[in-house]
Amino acid sequence: MAGSLTEADVWDALRGVTDPEYPLSIVDLGMVYDVRVAEGAVAVDMTFTSIGCPAIEMLVYDVREAVNALPDVRDIRVEVVWSPPWTKDRITDRGRRVLTAYGVAC
Amino acid sequence: MTAPQQPDAAEQDLIDRIAAGFMVESEEDMTPGYKRALITQLTVQGDTELMSAPAYYLASRDAPNINSRIAVTAIVHDELGHANIAYRILEDLGVNKHWLIYGRQPHEFKHPYGFDQALENWAEMVVANGFFDRAGITLLSDVHQHTSFGPLKRALVKVDREEVLHLRHGESWMKRLAKAGGEVKEALQRAVDWMFPMTLEWFGLPDHLKRHSGQLVYRLKGKTNDELRQIWMGSTVPLCEGIGIKVPAHWDEEAGEYAIDYPFPCQYDAQAKRWLFDEPLTWDQVFERWKARGPMNERYVEMLQGAFRGWLAH
Repeated sequence: MAGSLTEADVWDALRGVTDPEYPLSIVDLGMVYDVRVAEGAVAVDMTFTSIGCPAIEMLVYDVREAVNALPDVRDIRVEVVWSPPWTKDRITDRGRRVLTAYGVAC
Repeated sequence: MTAPQQPDAAEQDLIDRIAAGFMVESEEDMTPGYKRALITQLTVQGDTELMSAPAYYLASRDAPNINSRIAVTAIVHDELGHANIAYRILEDLGVNKHWLIYGRQPHEFKHPYGFDQALENWAEMVVANGFFDRAGITLLSDVHQHTSFGPLKRALVKVDREEVLHLRHGESWMKRLAKAGGEVKEALQRAVDWMFPMTLEWFGLPDHLKRHSGQLVYRLKGKTNDELRQIWMGSTVPLCEGIGIKVPAHWDEEAGEYAIDYPFPCQYDAQAKRWLFDEPLTWDQVFERWKARGPMNERYVEMLQGAFRGWLAH
């Protein structure tokens, strides 16, 4: 049972966690820095677009829920990291297309 | 104020052009009737956003940790910005923004009665985000989609996106509190018990009692009060049922719509925060209650106006 979960599964789950205002994922925003899986224990390193981001609490909760919904998850730890700092260069091409469609310069 | 039952030739001409897709861009395009209806709509919109700020701000002090307090203060900041958008457009129509915010008496603001109530704990704060902001999105996305007034249509793009965050904040926390169970879930249920009927009433007079709506005639909005109330219930009832929270409404299979399970409208005991389902009211009586304003009206307005007077005194 434990061991069948892969890092790719977790990345896929995180693609379902969306920015609170725009329909693009935290992965496309470049907010997820690292994912590690060891025998069902998941660790996610993520950052936020600013230290005063009002969505920290909510998105950490959403990340935990999304990962916990995967089969074979024994433990989930979300580490909020601030180094290296997030910049808009981290947004993926897909993310840029979504934001542009909503009139957001990026 | 008595609006003419039959619009004159100029009014009818504008109504016809709007029906054919004409967008009003400036005062020159407007008739007196259109301008009056738009000013009323924008005043209600701006006042609703403005009065949510003191209510949410006081409740932000009950946040369980620093990040959730930041979330609520950011929401307060958004709401003040949304109020400014409505008031800024009103300025272009010759209404004095300074007077709107600082010159009016508390009872002269036109926000819904729900924002005259105290939000006294974290459960009430997040249900306000889940219910009141959902009502706001329901009303404003209809305006965004249908309004014949170009400047407002463009301004609402930003407002709509930000309201989504408020709503998601509320719904996410409602799920968490329900999941926690015990006393936490009971507090959530108590908040829902007074805030659900409060929001239903917010959508106003049922369609069968509404004689004439300038807002619909001039296409300042697209959907009727009952349609909007149904849309709100369409999201809110399943949300609550899904987390094991009881609401006094259900899906009526036969009628193909949501049905309200109590005499609507009815009396509200604002001190006890309790709806008196055994005391039905007429809508005229509801309007009297609204006009008398609720328990926090004066305090909220004083929070907004007092700071400015204090600043002037220095």
